[in-house]
Amino acid sequence: MSALRLLSSAARRAPSTLAQQRRGYAEVADKISLSLVLPHQAIFTSTDVVQVNLAAATGDMGILANHVPSIEALRPGMIEVIESGNASKKWFASGGFATVHPGNKLTINVVEAAPLELFSSEAVRANLQEALKVATGNGSEEDKMEARIEADVYEALQHALGSK
Amino acid sequence: MSSATWRNFFTYNKYAQITARAVRQSLKESERVVAEKRGTTALKYQQWENGVGGPQVFLNSEEDKK
Repeated sequence: MSALRLLSSAARRAPSTLAQQRRGYAEVADKISLSLVLPHQAIFTSTDVVQVNLAAATGDMGILANHVPSIEALRPGMIEVIESGNASKKWFASGGFATVHPGNKLTINVVEAAPLELFSSEAVRANLQEALKVATGNGSEEDKMEARIEADVYEALQHALGSK
Repeated sequence: MSSATWRNFFTYNKYAQITARAVRQSLKESERVVAEKRGTTALKYQQWENGVGGPQVFLNSEEDKK
């Protein structure tokens, strides 16, 4: 069962030319109250937004107003916030949790995140090479797993930076 | 090798620290310097006996004095 889920989420992670899904109709009346917080910084504090696109561990999802209450673990990936109209802002987050509370509130807690412009493709590429070297090398299983986790983050970052 | 089996080696906290470190290391130079500071942790402890405190000791001795 979990293997199936892994397969489908892996398939969803494959680079795709589809743009992020948006609602079809004109201006949305309902907004959801978003709080996007990091340990050291609050990016949004109870701000009304139209849609939030997340990279959940179980697959990509978009949260709109009046979403059913749920708790989703996030994988290292992009968080896209659409405040109104077509303007959207993107951050890359290292992981955390997104909780939709009853009463139309969304709280996203992530450990580390930054706007896409603040990342360096050069650094990501170099880091990825380094991590892959360790992951396929001769270290302990623990070291290799650590490198594999980092490599996944760098690959997700490359995908996010590439499809800006 | 996929990282889906990280649970066999690490706790969630450790996993979150690893991914956060990876994100910090990928920032542009100017941002990275500020961010790296967020990643440092150090622990100092002190043994108390009969109301008297012993010496304060770094958990990781030399490494943490930096």
